[in-house]
Amino acid sequence: MKYLKLLIVIILFFGIVFVLGKLVSLKYISEYPEGSFISDYYKEENNHDVIFLGDCEAYTTFSPINLYEKYGITSYVRGNSQQLIGASYYLLQETLKYEHPKVVVLSVGLMRYDKQVKEEYNRLLLDKMKWSKEKIHLMNYLMLDNENIFSYFFPLLRYHDRITKLNSDDFKYLFNDRIVSHNGFLINQEVKPLNTLPSKKVLDNYNFSESNMEYLKKIMKLCQENNITLVLEKSPTMYPFWYDEYEKQIIDFANTYHLDYYNLLEKKDDIGLDFTKDTYDSGVHLNLSGAIKTTEYFGKILKEKYALQNHQNDDKIKLDYEKKIERFYGEVHEKNN
Amino acid sequence: MATSRIKKILLLLLNTFLYFIYGKNIIVLLITSVLTYYFGHIIVKKKSYLITTILISIILMPLIFYKYLINIMEISILVPLGISYYTLSLISYLSDMYHKRYHEANSLLDFLLFSLYFPCLFIGPINRYDTFSLELKKISFKKENVFNSLLRISFGLIKKLIIANKLMIVINTIASNNEFTGLYVLLACLLYSILLYCDFSGGIDIVLGISKIFNINLVENFNHPYLSESIKEFWRRWHISLSSWLKDYVYIPLGGNRGSKIMTKVNVLITFLISGLWHGIHYILWGILHGILVILNFKTKNRVVNIILTFTLISLLWIFFIYNNTFLSIEMFVSIFTKCDINVITNFLSLGLNIYEIIIVIIFLIMVIIYERKKDVIEKNFSSFTIENKVALILLLIILILLFGNYGLDVNGNNFIYGSF
Repeated sequence: MKYLKLLIVIILFFGIVFVLGKLVSLKYISEYPEGSFISDYYKEENNHDVIFLGDCEAYTTFSPINLYEKYGITSYVRGNSQQLIGASYYLLQETLKYEHPKVVVLSVGLMRYDKQVKEEYNRLLLDKMKWSKEKIHLMNYLMLDNENIFSYFFPLLRYHDRITKLNSDDFKYLFNDRIVSHNGFLINQEVKPLNTLPSKKVLDNYNFSESNMEYLKKIMKLCQENNITLVLEKSPTMYPFWYDEYEKQIIDFANTYHLDYYNLLEKKDDIGLDFTKDTYDSGVHLNLSGAIKTTEYFGKILKEKYALQNHQNDDKIKLDYEKKIERFYGEVHEKNN
Repeated sequence: MATSRIKKILLLLLNTFLYFIYGKNIIVLLITSVLTYYFGHIIVKKKSYLITTILISIILMPLIFYKYLINIMEISILVPLGISYYTLSLISYLSDMYHKRYHEANSLLDFLLFSLYFPCLFIGPINRYDTFSLELKKISFKKENVFNSLLRISFGLIKKLIIANKLMIVINTIASNNEFTGLYVLLACLLYSILLYCDFSGGIDIVLGISKIFNINLVENFNHPYLSESIKEFWRRWHISLSSWLKDYVYIPLGGNRGSKIMTKVNVLITFLISGLWHGIHYILWGILHGILVILNFKTKNRVVNIILTFTLISLLWIFFIYNNTFLSIEMFVSIFTKCDINVITNFLSLGLNIYEIIIVIIFLIMVIIYERKKDVIEKNFSSFTIENKVALILLLIILILLFGNYGLDVNGNNFIYGSF
């Protein structure tokens, strides 16, 4: 009886730590919605023909809802802020546990970043990720020296300081969650025109790191092993600069391994991008208008070159996407007002 | 006998392991400890003042090098953990050997346990070999000690993580902006008094609590210091192990109060100057000012007035700890009397803590005061609890610490203030 009481006390302790951890954790709904991309994916009812991988350039450039509307292609953006190439690799591994897409589009802008700079970016990716061996690998790959691994198991250790700053989301979404993104895409309709670009800095080194190149090869190999077509793509963003030296390395890689590479930045006029209207932060990211234009342009390539199926007549998918489209335009309308 | 030796070896291994885990330079500590052990034997044999002075000087060298020279020479090097504390312990041992206060250590194992005792290397207390070696004889793991020790450790963590680290946010806001003058500085001084006490005594609670688990009773380092009626009394209640060390190994050897009144005052001043110097070069003036206040030793007839006056004076002198720069500290001290920033009241909530955090600090401060005032009663009652109730209470305190503590990434205050001295 004594030991039973003791056991109850200990279970109660871990129960309270768990609930408090849930309470104080960031919910990634109103604040930092990017943190919900990862968990939104688990709620998907149907498989996707295309998976976009990349950093912010991926989730602000490609709108899967518009891609479906226009071409009937099913897709999801598994990208996040400052997502490194290694993280994209582990996310692809995780994706393959759930589905086998026909095409993986890798937004190569992320090749510029060698290592994680802020713990907050790791949190966006890891906090709502399901526990799996990929998550452990990802933690090992991303964690900064000053991070504490236990804080990923016990969020209370990381977010306890929010206890005096809780908001309505923290109670509303304590035990339930809601879909925040639109298949990994975030709607941003603000306009902040690009007036003048900052001067181009001369860098000490333009070479992608060996580690990044290794992960790029790993992604390629993983796609080959799973009979997936890997497509490389550079999103049409004006800043940070995409140097010629970067471009050459990607072209060389694509040529060496017979991969398709599309530099959409070079096609910005064909796409019809107007950086006085199609960006929300002076050319760093596209806004909704820019994303729709780019998605429609790139969707055509995907449709024609990779013979992707039009799912608009597939009842199950159609029903799912009707709901998604309604929610998408509901949010567009709401934000417009 | 053999069991006792095994326990000691295990404790030594644990200490060494923790030292390595902490990633600090153990070699210097190990060498000076072994040297001191053999120096003790030499001193006992030779009985020479000159040899004793030379050997003590050798043991002092690492402290002088790591604490002062590397700052002057601007060298970046890994400073051994707790060098200020263990050097004083080693010097006390050599001095005691010269004065034949007790028998020399006959076991290197015991001596290494004394000098390498890991918990004390962070923030003390400064141990003496005679008392510590007696404690070593009764090393054991007693169930009845564990829960009271955990209770004390929990309150130590509450003091450090909840009270001190939260107040540190306000202090850092004020100290990092030289535009915060006048009443802001006064506020910083008063809050720093609470912060430093909670930080330092919280750390000592953890050290004493851990030691008690092994049935090692270390000297208490605090005795309600802010209830002192004079600065002189304060130094009998604050950082007791350092104060008594300075008394025994500096003040009395200088002559103490055996000479003329003037010489007694000079001896007090020298003792406090060394106290300041032990804290660091920037604290010399702080030490001298305390020395002057101890010599003046003024008091009124009203106890409450005396306590308030003493607390205010001590708080004002912590200014040297807040700014870590003698000239800036003087400038800010003067501003308290020359600038009147009455908006400190309205701006208080913009100094880094919101209203809830302030309430949390106040509640836990009250909890700590009650615990400290009624410690014996609380521990006695706690001892009568059933095991599951004891576990429940400790786990509840842990939850409160985890929830309300200020710790983790980007928290300026993960180390103890006195760990840097």
